[in-house]
Amino acid sequence: MISRISFAGALFIGLSLSALAGTTPPPKTDKGVETSNASILRVNSTNQAYDFFRPWTKKAPFARRGLGTLIEGGRILVTAELVANHTFIELEKAGTAEKSSATVERVDYECNLAILRPNDPAFIAGMKPMKLDQGVHVGDRATVLQLEANGEIAQTLGTVTSIAVGGYPLDNMGLLLVRLSAPMQQRDGSFTLPAVRDGKLLGLLMRYEARSQTADLISPPVIAHFLTEAGKETYGGFARAGLAFSTTRDPQLRRYIGLSEPGGVYVTDVQSGGSGEKAGLRQGDVILAVDGNAIDQDGNYEDKEFGRIAFSHITNTRSHPGDTLVFRIFREGKILELPVKMEARDRTKIVSESYVLDRAPRYVVLGGVVFMELSRPYLQEWGADWLKAAPQRLVFYDAFQNELPQGRGKIVFVSQVLPSQDTLGYENLDNLVVSKVNGMEIRSLNDLDEAAKHPVNGFQKIELESDPGVLFLDAAAIETNRDKLIKKYSLPALKRL
Amino acid sequence: MFRYFLIAAAAMGIAQASPVARSLVRIEATSQDPDYKAPWNPGEVSGGVGAGFIISGNRIMTNAHVVSNGKFLTVSKEGDPKPRQAHVVFIAHDCDLALLSVDEPGFFKGTTALELGGIPAIESVVSVYGYPIGGSRLSVTQGIVSRIDFQTYTHSGMDSHLTIQIDAAINPGNSGGPVMQGGKVVGVAFQGYSGDVAQNVGYMIPTPVIRRFLKDIEDGHYDRYVDLALSYQPLFNPAARKALGLEDDDRGVLVGSVYGGGSSDGIVKPGDVLTAIDGLPISSDATISMDNDSVPLAEVVERKFKGDQVSLDIVRDGKPMKLKIPLSDPWPFNLHSNVYDEDPRFVVFGGLIFQPADQNFMTAHQPDDLRLRYLFDFFIEDKIYKDHPEIVVLSGVLADPINVYANEFRYTVVDEINGTKIKRLADVAAEFAKPADYYVIKMAGTVRPIVLERKAVEAARQRILSRYAVTKEQNL
Repeated sequence: MISRISFAGALFIGLSLSALAGTTPPPKTDKGVETSNASILRVNSTNQAYDFFRPWTKKAPFARRGLGTLIEGGRILVTAELVANHTFIELEKAGTAEKSSATVERVDYECNLAILRPNDPAFIAGMKPMKLDQGVHVGDRATVLQLEANGEIAQTLGTVTSIAVGGYPLDNMGLLLVRLSAPMQQRDGSFTLPAVRDGKLLGLLMRYEARSQTADLISPPVIAHFLTEAGKETYGGFARAGLAFSTTRDPQLRRYIGLSEPGGVYVTDVQSGGSGEKAGLRQGDVILAVDGNAIDQDGNYEDKEFGRIAFSHITNTRSHPGDTLVFRIFREGKILELPVKMEARDRTKIVSESYVLDRAPRYVVLGGVVFMELSRPYLQEWGADWLKAAPQRLVFYDAFQNELPQGRGKIVFVSQVLPSQDTLGYENLDNLVVSKVNGMEIRSLNDLDEAAKHPVNGFQKIELESDPGVLFLDAAAIETNRDKLIKKYSLPALKRL
Repeated sequence: MFRYFLIAAAAMGIAQASPVARSLVRIEATSQDPDYKAPWNPGEVSGGVGAGFIISGNRIMTNAHVVSNGKFLTVSKEGDPKPRQAHVVFIAHDCDLALLSVDEPGFFKGTTALELGGIPAIESVVSVYGYPIGGSRLSVTQGIVSRIDFQTYTHSGMDSHLTIQIDAAINPGNSGGPVMQGGKVVGVAFQGYSGDVAQNVGYMIPTPVIRRFLKDIEDGHYDRYVDLALSYQPLFNPAARKALGLEDDDRGVLVGSVYGGGSSDGIVKPGDVLTAIDGLPISSDATISMDNDSVPLAEVVERKFKGDQVSLDIVRDGKPMKLKIPLSDPWPFNLHSNVYDEDPRFVVFGGLIFQPADQNFMTAHQPDDLRLRYLFDFFIEDKIYKDHPEIVVLSGVLADPINVYANEFRYTVVDEINGTKIKRLADVAAEFAKPADYYVIKMAGTVRPIVLERKAVEAARQRILSRYAVTKEQNL
């Protein structure tokens, strides 16, 4: 499973700030706030997600509000979540309520960051860009900024309680997090909040748990990495080693594999096509050091700045795509050094994507039979309990996608059947994986679209991996009834590829 | 979702004479349900009440679920306050029927054996006898036959047979009681819906199922139902019919899957169209006409026995063919069926508990592990049984210094021990019985093994057994 690759930190469930609750002591002042005030904008984003049950439609739009931070170059930094699936973004000045629209210049859902640019550059004239504070330590104090309804800035002082690698919300990628203990209260528009110290940006708050009064901040190294990549001609993103590992604490395991070195983690999975696999890393290797940093039995190293943290911080944040890191490994009694060229994940090769944002889900309708490609957002339409509630065959395809044979491609499936005279008897079929259409192997919706152009003996023959095994449609009849179907179900188009 | 209940319940008392009363018994069962979480424990003792009735040969018929996991049974006749000890002679969990005997001579004196009738007509009136909640004496309710159909028998959870739905009130405690019409038994009351799901929906086991059970045991042994072990779908779609070379005559069903090891394996192929079974034409909705009624085509097989044959008319690649299927037990993988009267199987080694994942195990543990759920759910469809006739799971860790690092592997499936593929629980015991310095246990889906040192396991053995009060180290 891909989501466990590249980090071993404990995951936790955070509440988004819309669920903020609790009491707040009176705000304390911070000498940097005056500067902050000149760098903060309210960001109102209208978002609209696609409906994966009816992939030709969008769900009802909704609004998210947060605070953007002006940074160098007339750009505004926010969390990616704030603007995910946006249809319209509006900037609003604190206090004056002056408004201007904005566009997304760069978004990366893995690190949950986005850069906005005002459509009217003059809108931010007179404001002061904020700099990034890179020297955060456990025990430091930081102020989280919120906006009152009247435009005044509300401040909550918090203490940094830990700095560790943890899961980021949209892709569950393990990146450095700063955890802040701060007693905040529910205020309108808290989807992104800056945390500042002495007028410098210390992180962006991306989730808050009211019960424990803990906030998770996107950490300065992650923001710096994102901004560096965003400044390049080609955005490279965050590299991944493409490895899953387990600890080597068990002395019986260490003795059995003959490992006398004090540390090291046991590689349990190597993602096919990933940086680690290309460099020759194998299942069963023990990683002793990365880029000269000794790895302990739990997969941590001693970072000069942040103390004992997971080594994935080296691979995904400290290094950039294209860099080479030397992995010192223990394999079958020998010590080897493998140079690993770090690369970001090639998202086009993913079988079932963990998120599909800012773009429409693909589909093909044949006669009334709706075909889609498997993605996690489709399964998540079943709600929070989707792992158990969604069609299990598809859940397992998503969960074990890394174990599929090379070149399996996308999982194309019949998501539903729109009843019509051509689909008589098929009305109750849904969530069936397609193996072949008209004798051709199906590895993507494009394959299916192509295969459908070649009916056999006048029939579209759709072969399925499970019962009923095969469906037939009258190729001529579905062409004749095409417009009727479009009209009856208000389909904007019979396919979107 | 529908919620079923099985209608056995605690109730007490004896009722006054009615003609049927001379044939009715009240059954009190003390049962002990196994503990799948601490499988060496004998399990919790509980009691229940159900009904039964006397049939020919001094036998008492009741539901299997009234006497399942029974440790001690008593029966009391109407009007005779003394409970007598009874024994299960035959029990059929797949159709929820059982026969009891009573040792005490003279018990059946003065009783009347009930006779079996046929299938009652829709809308005809039937009477239900039993000891349902709401009082302690014999209760009679009356209703009409609402529907005749196939239903899942919730006792096994996997089998479906012909079932008659009636609108007479059937409540917990009615289980095993006779449903009468014209002085004959037309069914055994056995399950219903709880009132928050549906009202006046009760089910009885009809006489074809009862007769089949009685015939099956004539040789002194209950063999279970036989099954075609294939899946089929209705064939309504005109394009599908044309493409398969069928006429537009509303006949035939399409075979989707043929299960490995089952009766049809190697004879029927996916994509075949079944047009007749034992000469009875199959409609495109998978029904046949039998006894002047339309019933699912499976009813033909339902009435047959192990070793019997069934003939199928099929269309394969547009050509009509005739096939003969020798019927056998349902394919030997009744993994998804609830199991009764068996002690849980397990192996404890080094504080690690290994158990085969069957329906009872899954119900007790409700594991979230996706791989385990996949292997269990798709055991038949994806032919998991080929590599894993039993899915052996590390179901728990009795924490001890030697195994604390194994906890993260809870509910994962054992793939290999010391390089040997684990196909059954017995393989686990066999590997641990071999002398080795290390026992290297590899779980499915991960390469990082659990390693136990023999010396450490031996040193910890008594400590673990006594600390966790493990009375038995294995039950294979």
